Amino acid sequence: MEENLKWLWGAFSLAWGLHLAYVFILGRRQKSLREQVEYLKAQLEDRGER
Amino acid sequence: MDRYESVPTWLLAITGAMVVAAFYFMFVWVPTEMTMGIVQRIFYLHVPSAFVAFFGFLLGGIASIQYLSTREHRYDDLSVACNEVGLVFAIVNLLTGMLWAKPIWGVYWAWGDARLSTMLLLALIYFAYLILRQSVIEPTQRAVVCAVVSIFGMVDIPIVYMANVWWRTQHPQPVLSGDGSLDPRMRFVLYFSTFAFAFVFWCLVRVRRRIEMLRREADGLRREVHAL
Repeated sequence: MEENLKWLWGAFSLAWGLHLAYVFILGRRQKSLREQVEYLKAQLEDRGER
Repeated sequence: MDRYESVPTWLLAITGAMVVAAFYFMFVWVPTEMTMGIVQRIFYLHVPSAFVAFFGFLLGGIASIQYLSTREHRYDDLSVACNEVGLVFAIVNLLTGMLWAKPIWGVYWAWGDARLSTMLLLALIYFAYLILRQSVIEPTQRAVVCAVVSIFGMVDIPIVYMANVWWRTQHPQPVLSGDGSLDPRMRFVLYFSTFAFAFVFWCLVRVRRRIEMLRREADGLRREVHAL
């Protein structure tokens, strides 16, 4: 039983580790896109004023 | 703006509570299987991941059909969100399956096994789908080509599910529709974990869909800036 516990622990860690890594990637993508949108909006406003 | 605005607090709370309850059921409450022992509990991660991946790909395929018939980009957003999150669950399914196979079969992967091969093929189709999304620049062309691939991938789902019925395989027979009897407590934990995973899927799809909307907004603004 003790020997097989490592496989269960490994599967559990892998499953939730992958999900957490994916959430982290999504968070970074979202942050980067928001910054891009803000930057482009500012550029549009700037060019509109000119 | 808050990072989690696309996932309401009530949904996060329900999902968190369901995941914690699923952990309790799968590690404490459910009885240990006699033959495989404690390693059988991987089943409560492995099987729900497959169900949720199938559900994601199915939803992605239906959204693609909707996109092709209406040409509304919101369906393309939903399709990419469901397919990408579905792929994450498919990868979890494949990896947890390998960690179950090593102590039970003695190998991580059996190349001749129809269920394993068809599931790997399914994951590769959706991996190709994501690569294709990066390669086609023109948004409408990208959405149309990817919708076709998404529908093609959806067709593989029943083949994966029925693989261990149609072909000779060492993979266990389907637990829900097959001959093998399942302890009622094990069946309950299996269903509960599937629901908990489905809630996780829902949260992730909402965030991923929001990202696709932001990308579309950024593309539109970029075109406007270049036009000025």
